[in-house]
Amino acid sequence: MLSYILRRIVATLPVMAIVALFVFSLLYIAPGDPAVVIAGDQASPEDVERIRQSLGLDRPFLVQFGSWVWRILHGDLGTSIFTNLPVSAMIGQRLGPTLSLMIVTLLLTIVVAVPLGVVAAWKAGSLIDRVIMGFAVFGFSLPVFVVGYMLAYIFALELEWLPVQGYTPLTQGFLPWLENLILPSIALGCVYIALVARITRAAMLEVLQQDYIRTAKAKGLGQGGILFIHALKNAAVPIVTVIGIGIALLIGGAVVTESVFAIPGLGRLTIDAILRRDYPVIQGIVLLFSFVYVLVNLMIDVTYTLVDPRIRY
Amino acid sequence: MSEELLRIDDLHVAFSTRRGMVEAVRGVSLNVGAGEMLGLVGESGSGKSVTGFATTRLLDAAGRVTGGKILFRGQDVTKLRGDDLRHLQGAAMSMIFQNPRAALNPIRAIGLQIADAILTHKRISKDAARAEALELLRAVQIRDPEARMNAYPHELSGGMCQRVMIAIAISCNPSLLIADEPTTGLDVTTQKVVMDLLADIAAARGMATILITHDLGLAARYCRRIAVMERGRIVEEASPRTLFSAPQHAYTRRLVAASPTATSRIEDLVTEEERERYATVVSKPRQEPAHGTPPLLEVRKLAKRFDQGSAAVADFSMTMAGGESVGLVGESGSGKSTTSRMICRLIDPSEGDIVFDGQSIGHVAARDFHRSRFRKDIQMVFQDPNESLNPRFTAFDCIAHPLMRLDGMRAGDALRQRVEECAERVGLPLDLLPRFPHQLSGGQKARVGIARAIACRPRLLVLDEPTAALDVSVQAVVLQLLDRLRRENDIALLFVSHDLNVVRMLCDRTIVLRNGGIVEQGESRTLFDNPKTDYTRKLVEAIPHIETGELLAAAL
Repeated sequence: MLSYILRRIVATLPVMAIVALFVFSLLYIAPGDPAVVIAGDQASPEDVERIRQSLGLDRPFLVQFGSWVWRILHGDLGTSIFTNLPVSAMIGQRLGPTLSLMIVTLLLTIVVAVPLGVVAAWKAGSLIDRVIMGFAVFGFSLPVFVVGYMLAYIFALELEWLPVQGYTPLTQGFLPWLENLILPSIALGCVYIALVARITRAAMLEVLQQDYIRTAKAKGLGQGGILFIHALKNAAVPIVTVIGIGIALLIGGAVVTESVFAIPGLGRLTIDAILRRDYPVIQGIVLLFSFVYVLVNLMIDVTYTLVDPRIRY
Repeated sequence: MSEELLRIDDLHVAFSTRRGMVEAVRGVSLNVGAGEMLGLVGESGSGKSVTGFATTRLLDAAGRVTGGKILFRGQDVTKLRGDDLRHLQGAAMSMIFQNPRAALNPIRAIGLQIADAILTHKRISKDAARAEALELLRAVQIRDPEARMNAYPHELSGGMCQRVMIAIAISCNPSLLIADEPTTGLDVTTQKVVMDLLADIAAARGMATILITHDLGLAARYCRRIAVMERGRIVEEASPRTLFSAPQHAYTRRLVAASPTATSRIEDLVTEEERERYATVVSKPRQEPAHGTPPLLEVRKLAKRFDQGSAAVADFSMTMAGGESVGLVGESGSGKSTTSRMICRLIDPSEGDIVFDGQSIGHVAARDFHRSRFRKDIQMVFQDPNESLNPRFTAFDCIAHPLMRLDGMRAGDALRQRVEECAERVGLPLDLLPRFPHQLSGGQKARVGIARAIACRPRLLVLDEPTAALDVSVQAVVLQLLDRLRRENDIALLFVSHDLNVVRMLCDRTIVLRNGGIVEQGESRTLFDNPKTDYTRKLVEAIPHIETGELLAAAL
């Protein structure tokens, strides 16, 4: 098992290398001279030349790439052009809110969507099933910012149950932290809950038709035992896959959600960086997200082998 | 009869389908005494399994008991709810199923699956349940039970899985066990071992058993009383002896005739009334090939090794003359399917050569063989007609496709005519040609598969268990069809099967395979009457025989 995980980690290295190359090329893919792009519209030719020198842009591409990778491996993501702060420090400051938002959303999704899907499959064709699936279609078709503003209007402005926007770090208490995250998580999780509920239902329907479910019934097992011990674990592979793919969705959604709820997270940082053409920051964020995504994929693959003994490693 | 345990009274079961309610069981009445083993025999769609599921309350959501009573120890099972029902299921009454591997949860260790059943019904600790599960594994004679406790179903053979199912079923000492086709799909030798074990356990524990099967021979061997079902009704109930010597109902007569026995011939597989049509064909003698004609097929030292494993087939040699029929028998894993696939050039041999009609074809890569001029000459009929037909192709497309691909025919009247000829040859009514596979019965699908295979007028037909998925009466018709094709069209048949009765009837010669090598070969009748090796003897003895000789003598 351990050797399998190690092998998988080694296998992700080429992927990360290609991602890094792509991220690095961002600067060159953007139209125009990178130094001019970075320097902005009002820069004098001297400024441009100074930037070119300081960033080493006059050296050959591969040499630049090599030294960039070397610095990253040493934990140096470069310095923001706009704030002159180290990129790693800027990302570090913003990581907490985004991670909080993503984890709460993820937990909310799993806790809500999986049972909904299981119930829908168990009662397939019934009114409950249709209501759940109707909700799923609805959740699927509403954009995050629409749901976000609606929730903020109803629960924060009208009912005043929850804060309208902002973020409180976990260090200042669990409840204040959670209060600020509830609405954004629901808004962000809507699409995700719909997706996971649908997949859970489909996977469960398939499994519930299998012979071994009949065997479980023949043994006299209760409904709960059949659904959660025998069926859900067998249906887990597609569900885990979708939850994993959904994390990519979350990354995109987090950018919008953080804007709607004024959460000082990576999403906001990303938008600000893009607007300011702060390339080192953009590169750092994209690299981080890619890394998280590759890591999630690795975790999914490992989860498969834990869930299903037939998957060999 | 001993004390009555189960009485089914005028049971009706209906299924709601897209086309309305369909009655699957219409008025079945049965009774089973304590400790008795009752055979419930019928073909697919006869309602025998549905009767079993209604009794154990495992009907699909679409199925409903619409009338009658099922009295188990005087209590009406159909009215039980909630906890009362769960105390019945698995505890007082249990069930084992066809296809044991699918019936076990693939991702749960078998020890846990047995313990599940125990923990559901007994208030004992998990450790105690595990200990009991281990005892049960011993009772069903699983070797090395301690190690097997943590095994998953995919690590066990089909026979082993069925033993685990039996262990689950008997875990709470039920007084009634319903076994639904418990050995269908298992090898003959495994089949015998599993059935013997089941019978022993039932006898030792005084457990009544209903054996649901399509195999009259199997029921006759283990049951004192057999009920025959047809289209949702019990048409006859009698002892095996009476059933075979003096079947009363026309359907029983047909079923008895269609069940191959140790001495039956192909022409015996139909009742007296149907036999006349067939007689004219059989009487036509087959043309013996002139002396000195080269063999149609010659296989030399064929071997197949899959990645890193030991040889699946090794040193396999045989010859076949045109119009000859050769049987290839052996248990699963013996390499018979691998061999047949190499011969029809679907997979590449690792060693050796295949010579067809004087030309070496063993070295043509399997993926290029479709361009060979011999592709037309060697065709295949696959095991399961339900799975091997493209669900989006009509019967017509299925038969027409090889004609277009291999004979270069274009859509038009000529093609239509050829397809219709083929359909007629295999006895497929022409009005069925526009239908899709799901609109055809099992026997009709088998005919489409055969029509497709003979469409290009092949000289060698390789058949991989072509009747394994079919009812006996359909099997009888298909076998007669194959025999007729061979006699009339001089098509050589290579028949791969685990059903020795069938091979003995259809094939001139038989080759017995074991672990990828030939154990014994020779003229079919001699080989089966006087097997020379222990392995062949074991295979022959495992066939559920119906002691027709004795029965006939008794009837006379």
